[in-house]
Amino acid sequence: MDANSSSGPGAQIQDLPVGCLTVAAMNEALVLGAVRQHELAAAAELANTQLRKEIGEREKAEAEIRRLNIELEQRVAERTAQLQSANQELEAFSYSVSHDLRAPLRHILGFTNLLKKDAGPALSETSLRHLATISESANRMGMLIDDLLTFSRVGRAEMKTANVNLDELVRETLGDFQEETKGRTIVLNLHPLPCVCADRALLRLVLVNLISNAVKFTSHRAEATIEIGCVPGATAETVIFIRDNGAGFDPHYAHKLFGVFQRLHSTNEFEGTGIGLANVQRIIQRHGGRTWAEGVVDGGATFYFSIPNPNGGRHANGK
Amino acid sequence: MQTESRIIQNILLVEDDMRDVDLTLAALEDHHLSNKVFVVHDGAEALDYLYRRGKFAVRGAGNPVVILLDNKMPKIDGLEVLKIIKADPKLKTIPVVVLTSSRETPDLIEFYQHGVNAYVVKPVDFAEFMRAVQQLGVFWAAVNEPPPDSASGSTPMQSGKVVPPGKEG
Repeated sequence: MDANSSSGPGAQIQDLPVGCLTVAAMNEALVLGAVRQHELAAAAELANTQLRKEIGEREKAEAEIRRLNIELEQRVAERTAQLQSANQELEAFSYSVSHDLRAPLRHILGFTNLLKKDAGPALSETSLRHLATISESANRMGMLIDDLLTFSRVGRAEMKTANVNLDELVRETLGDFQEETKGRTIVLNLHPLPCVCADRALLRLVLVNLISNAVKFTSHRAEATIEIGCVPGATAETVIFIRDNGAGFDPHYAHKLFGVFQRLHSTNEFEGTGIGLANVQRIIQRHGGRTWAEGVVDGGATFYFSIPNPNGGRHANGK
Repeated sequence: MQTESRIIQNILLVEDDMRDVDLTLAALEDHHLSNKVFVVHDGAEALDYLYRRGKFAVRGAGNPVVILLDNKMPKIDGLEVLKIIKADPKLKTIPVVVLTSSRETPDLIEFYQHGVNAYVVKPVDFAEFMRAVQQLGVFWAAVNEPPPDSASGSTPMQSGKVVPPGKEG
């Protein structure tokens, strides 16, 4: 009371409301706090529910991913099995072509010849010509079958890539044509070639086909020129060209050159089945490269192929 | 003649396709070898012949100097015949030449793994076919020294056409 008396009546008035206010405020605060707490709890509950929902959703999503993964793996396994069986079928088909189609051909040729041997002297010239045509046709079919088999093998053969010295490979391949080109004048213009990363045996087949074409389509020239070189400037890939001064081709049909059994010249003009360039394209494609050609009718042809350089060409073109 | 049931053939041709038999004999005829050929038509018959059982129980003793074996045949194929021959100490010395239409390499590897003595792809071209068969015939029947348990080549031969043993000489 001493304090009250010293503070006067005003202070008393002030004192009461302060205490009241404090209590009221506290009460209010408590109520508010309770409300707030309730709100917070509700919010937390909501957040928890949300979180639980999200966790549930995430778990669901994860389960879905796992399911999709399993499904994908299954699908890959199925596809692989399908591919394997397709491959096996293809091999069985090749085998059948190789074995079962060759036998009747051998018989046609064999018995045509036996007939010619037995009855030859009694046969007219026309009959003999017919027999010769039968033999020629059967022989040609034999060649087509062999070519088709080679083509199929070229697509299936396992690739063994290594550093290939193209200079050496070109020289080696040209050696194969010595017998065939005996008595012909062929000027060889060989430029230095780089090393490439490729399957040597398959690349040799590319060169055999391209050189054989150059030799064949220049056969009507008194002096044939064959030039082999590397197109400068390319870094990501090595571009090789083989140019000849032979019969060339109509550039209008250039897109047909690399098709299976596609020919731009008649067999009477130039022999062949039309599988060579198809093999070239298939082999180069398997290396990730490209093939193309330029030519003019009677003005020679240039065939190009590219082989990608390892490391995008950073260390390429070195010998 | 008494010797007739003891007629011995030098070359055993195992071939199911009569057209190939005819062509093979035509090729060998040029070198007077066709009369040294005995023909059987599948692997089962070849084994009967080699083991002298069934209808071949009465054939003369001795192994052929060479077996020309087709690969693809009904019942028992060429590879199976080869496996049996090369697994038998009494037969494994007989040279076996596989004649096949197939150029496919898996076959080649398998035949060599089982001890084939030669593997010949029958050429489609007639002249090449004749040459190949003639070279084989001459080499195995005349040039090569056969293993000691082979039938002697000096005995009378029957014609190359398919004749059951013990009949006609």
